[in-house]
Amino acid sequence: MAVDYSAKPLLTVDGLKQYFKVSKSFTVHAVENVSFKIYPGETYGLVGESGSGKSTIGRSIIRLYDPTAGKIQFDGTEISGKLSTHDNHILRTQMQMIFQDPMASLNPRKKIGDIIGEGLDIHHAYMNRAERAEKIQDILAKVGLAPEHASRYPHQFSGGQRQRVGIARALIMNPKLIIADECISALDVSIQAQVVNLMKDIQQETGTAYLFIAHDLSMVKYISDRIGVLHLGHLLETGTTEEIFSNPIHPYTRSLLSAIPAPNPIVEKQRVAESYDYKTSGIDYNQGTDHLVSGSHYVKCTDEEFAKWTKRVI
Amino acid sequence: MSEEREQILKIQDLDISFQTTAGTVHAIRGVNIDLYKGETVAIVGESGSGKSVTMKAVMGILASNATVTNGTVEFSYHHADGSPETVNILEKDKKWIRRHINGKRIAMVFQDPMTSLDPTMTIGKQIMEGMIWHFKTPKKEAWDKAVQLLKEVGIEDAEKRMKNYPHQLSGGMRQRVVIAIALSCNPDLLICDEPTTALDVTIQAKIIELIKRVQKERGISVIYITHDLGVVAKVADYVNVMYAGKIVEKGKINEIFYEPKHPYTWGLLSAMPNLDTDDERLYTIPGSPPNLLNEKPGDAFAPRNKYALEIDEKADPPMFQISDTHYAATWLLDPRAPKAEMPAELKTRIEKMKKEANEHGSRL
Ligand SMILES: Nc1ncnc2c1ncn2[C@@H]1O[C@H](COP(=O)(O)OP(=O)(O)O)[C@@H](O)[C@H]1O
Ligand SMILES: Nc1ncnc2c1ncn2[C@@H]1O[C@H](COP(=O)(O)OP(=O)(O)O)[C@@H](O)[C@H]1O
Ligand SMILES: [Mg+2]
Ligand SMILES: [Mg+2]
Repeated sequence: MAVDYSAKPLLTVDGLKQYFKVSKSFTVHAVENVSFKIYPGETYGLVGESGSGKSTIGRSIIRLYDPTAGKIQFDGTEISGKLSTHDNHILRTQMQMIFQDPMASLNPRKKIGDIIGEGLDIHHAYMNRAERAEKIQDILAKVGLAPEHASRYPHQFSGGQRQRVGIARALIMNPKLIIADECISALDVSIQAQVVNLMKDIQQETGTAYLFIAHDLSMVKYISDRIGVLHLGHLLETGTTEEIFSNPIHPYTRSLLSAIPAPNPIVEKQRVAESYDYKTSGIDYNQGTDHLVSGSHYVKCTDEEFAKWTKRVI
Repeated sequence: MSEEREQILKIQDLDISFQTTAGTVHAIRGVNIDLYKGETVAIVGESGSGKSVTMKAVMGILASNATVTNGTVEFSYHHADGSPETVNILEKDKKWIRRHINGKRIAMVFQDPMTSLDPTMTIGKQIMEGMIWHFKTPKKEAWDKAVQLLKEVGIEDAEKRMKNYPHQLSGGMRQRVVIAIALSCNPDLLICDEPTTALDVTIQAKIIELIKRVQKERGISVIYITHDLGVVAKVADYVNVMYAGKIVEKGKINEIFYEPKHPYTWGLLSAMPNLDTDDERLYTIPGSPPNLLNEKPGDAFAPRNKYALEIDEKADPPMFQISDTHYAATWLLDPRAPKAEMPAELKTRIEKMKKEANEHGSRL
């Protein structure tokens, strides 16, 4: 399903800042002036090393934090300020989150069916028990689990199955946006592929959009329409998956791509990954502004940096 | 090339079961692994395939509900006076292993550095500990060596860092410290059990380069456990592919990557994300690994294997020899089996890999 980029964006993040005051004299600038849009039915991949601010962005969007500055619009409603009861309800149902280990925060004594149905219970989203049970069974089937799984407990599930439960839990509310925070990072490569394919199938069927958060680029390629590269709270480069993979401009993006080992022993043994150290790079992220590379491909840098980094492609 | 290879580890017919409340889990089923001095062997397989349990047997640190029902783990080393010794680790008691093997001749690096580090002790003390215990190294000398090791693993301001506690370091730095501890007693064998799985890719790349460098400089042997074939390609000389407690394919690194024979290896290679194609969909191996609690007759991989033959339901395939160094346990290699080729997509992918390798000066 092709994304319609002339449609109204589903989510608009504009100049988001999220600071945490740790002590009197120290404030963490976790997210620094980040702007991006997600269109209906689109997958936006947000990539960067740990500590770069990915989870914080997700949590600010879903309003687990009050943004320090900036505007967030979701489905035509401004959600960055004080929320009315109605807006809050919309937000809690239309936007869902999947975590790295969905079981970690869950009651191990609760059956899978009840864990999946929790959202329905909170929002009274069914007429009777039969309808509730039916909704849970439908979702289980959709994520590739069997009906009898509903009566089992979390510890009886493998890592890949747990992630299916996490997806089912998010999906049951029929959300327009799912924020998936490192939802495959803890899985084996082969199981990651299964979950990514499942998420794509679900998107085809339901038209939900994803904010897909990951710390490396290899799987992101298979699910994202567009990608944003985050480092130290700054969105350094963004573009379509094709633009980022075929023509990475920012040295940080290039180092992320180059760090992924390729399954080709002769090539891989000779190759040394491009390394990048912000401290010694001479780059100051705060001086950068968005520069258009081509199409929808932007990189955050100074004019001099832009001239230097794009020289080799011209 | 005709240089004599010196064997340092020989795992033979290893069989391990666990007693659990639900019954017996037959976790390791006839594993054979050989390792020679200065070489790196990778063990690759999905979670639960038995990689860690095999290595725990080598270290003599199996859980108390484990029973070794068959096999030997022969480790060869030299005494201080140079005389050679070979021991079957499975016959030695825990105390002897702690005194003579663990940390001294075989050292291990785990996935989560925090499981190996003591949060209440400075990292300097932790690096010095083994030298003092195993070799009675004087404190001053141990301190100097520890500083040297921290420098060797790429930690800046080594003297200052000696006084840090683990929580004051980043994940990547902690893993460097664990590697420094592992190297502190000059081991002959370094076992790395998913040492970078919890780290960022950029840090993974640096840790792998570090391990490769110290191996080369010190001439030690490495067993590298991972589920990531990209990492295997980077580090290994030999590869063992493990499935449900059994080695299903083994060979030289190039044999496994450019001429894989087992359908499971085909699946693993096909499921690797490929950065330079515009494929929209990832290949996946259908289903999930078997529950080792209820062992069934036949090939454990058969239910997920579209190439499975009738005989796979009844009998577990033996290891078929493909070359001097390459073996695979699949009935497809039996002379009576119908001819089966790897999936066309994988074939194309491998052709492309070979072409790239040739551009790097190889002849394949
Ligand atoms: N509640 C908080 N209080 C203080 N600092 C925080 C808080 N949450 C996150 N941070 C800091 O913000 C930065 C970004 O964190 P995070 O968004 O979790 O990164 P990522 O998800 O990319 O790993 C880190 O430096 C982290 O320590
Ligand atoms: N102490 C134990 N008791 C019961 N089963 C165990 C125990 N330790 C490991 N196992 C089982 O043995 C199998 C292999 O585990 P392991 O070697 O840890 O796999 P991996 O390849 O992921 O390292 C798994 O099925 C695991 O559940
Ligand atoms: Mg995070
Ligand atoms: Mg393991």
